[in-house]
Amino acid sequence: MHSSDEKLEVALEMSGVNPAEEDLEKILDGFTRGLELAAQLYTVPGVRYEEPALIFSARVAGAR
Amino acid sequence: MTTQLTKPGTTDSNAVTTTASKGILTIADAAAALRDGTITSMAITTDIVEKAISLNEALGTYVTITQDLALEQAAQADAAFAAGEDRGPLQGIPLAIKDIIAMKGAGTTANSRVLDPEWGAGTDAPVVARLRAAGSVFVGKSTTSEFAFGMPDPTKGFPVPHNPWDVERTPAGSSSGTGIAVAAGLALGGLGTDTGGSVRGPACVNGHTGLKVTFGRVPKSGVVPLGFSLDSVGPMARSAYDCALLLEVMAGYDASDPNAADVPVPKYSEFLDGDVDGIRIGLPMPYFFDHEALDPDVRDAVLAGVGKLVGMGATAEEMALPYAAEAKEANHLILVAEAYAYHRNNLVNRWSDYGDLTRPNLARGAFYTAGDVAQANRFRSMWAGEVAKAFQKYDVLITPSAPNPAQLVKDMDPSHRLVQPMYTGHWNLTGLPAVAIPSGFTAGGLPLSMQIIGKPFAEATVLKVADAYQRATSWHLMVPPVEALYDTAR
Repeated sequence: MHSSDEKLEVALEMSGVNPAEEDLEKILDGFTRGLELAAQLYTVPGVRYEEPALIFSARVAGAR
Repeated sequence: MTTQLTKPGTTDSNAVTTTASKGILTIADAAAALRDGTITSMAITTDIVEKAISLNEALGTYVTITQDLALEQAAQADAAFAAGEDRGPLQGIPLAIKDIIAMKGAGTTANSRVLDPEWGAGTDAPVVARLRAAGSVFVGKSTTSEFAFGMPDPTKGFPVPHNPWDVERTPAGSSSGTGIAVAAGLALGGLGTDTGGSVRGPACVNGHTGLKVTFGRVPKSGVVPLGFSLDSVGPMARSAYDCALLLEVMAGYDASDPNAADVPVPKYSEFLDGDVDGIRIGLPMPYFFDHEALDPDVRDAVLAGVGKLVGMGATAEEMALPYAAEAKEANHLILVAEAYAYHRNNLVNRWSDYGDLTRPNLARGAFYTAGDVAQANRFRSMWAGEVAKAFQKYDVLITPSAPNPAQLVKDMDPSHRLVQPMYTGHWNLTGLPAVAIPSGFTAGGLPLSMQIIGKPFAEATVLKVADAYQRATSWHLMVPPVEALYDTAR
């Protein structure tokens, strides 16, 4: 089982983001807590058969 | 508790007797005075701009004060009045524009060294163009958290915002500058943006009104995005009535925003008649009223406010919304993921140009999986359905705006955002309108606030309830004691 530090190192390498050494502790704290909180969303029973509402509509023909 | 601001050594009566001492605290006050000839836009604007300049070091309100533009616009407004031209209640009214919104006549920084200095140059975002066409006066570009997300980093050279009620405390964000400006009388209203609470948070701790609109109600093109599916541009002012006046101009479809809603814009101010008889209020107790981190003063002030509305003919009932804690997480996950997508290339190439508290928070978006984002959006659909069921029974929901009054800056820890309750992001997740209004003060003199949430595109109902409460109270008219700062600055 990999430690949080090891997981963070791999995740950073995969993302291409190369933070300064002094930022790693703050990132690790957010990394660990963030993934715990994201995992909670998989435990909500009412979401089992839910579809996400798409925000793109092919009917929109707005000028840019 | 109205501050009497004076400027010694001046013989011009309009400059000496400032807007606040003339009893002009609101857009409505100013609009009436401009039309009955007791003051000019030039007098109001001169007073406000001079105060803004004097207090900017102490309060960090503005990134850029557009003095010449403001005075030019004020002169144009006065000339128009003199010629019998009246574009509506915002003519001649000084406003603050959050510095992530494009405005002709000033650059946009997003309080960051990363934003391309040419971004939005020479253009007005549609919402700003509407305010300009209505004859408004632009005091300046108000301070924001970096990219509407990070906390201030003093090493980056941007003004650091301070709460005018206690400069050691946070003015909240990300629409910090507009929040400070409205509270301290450095604008009569202004624009903020709200993705998870960034209009309502500053309104809450600065002691005035801030409206997060229905998703799509106000076009958000010409605004630096934070979370594409959550962002909104909203009015901030002392009163719900003032927010209604602003929204009448701001709202409406614009083809440049693919998420703009093509829904008619009512004359919101006409709905504000003080009558809440029969309005059904739902109070979601679990999480919103019973969390261990909720300050008892905050809770008690909200419940007292509900009691006042019930005394005016509304009904209130305790109820529950399931998975409120998870909804906060889903809003945050989607926000961070969408923000990361926008910032990813700059995070890779310009990491150190971001503020020290912005960059680790943005980096979190790299660690969520694609599945996590899809799951958060599936949760979003389920949560929106639960909230819609509640609105079959209630006209509005009322909650605290935040669990605490303004915190001391030295005690703030960004990681607390991940664990403490928040009451605002739920309504970004569902795209519903929600207004924060003052509901009292702590014993120590810090503003307290309550939040009123409505059905999609029911800003009229939300503002009606808020306005009715404000007709019976005066919390929203309290002015922070900035006089000492003004005297120090002179």
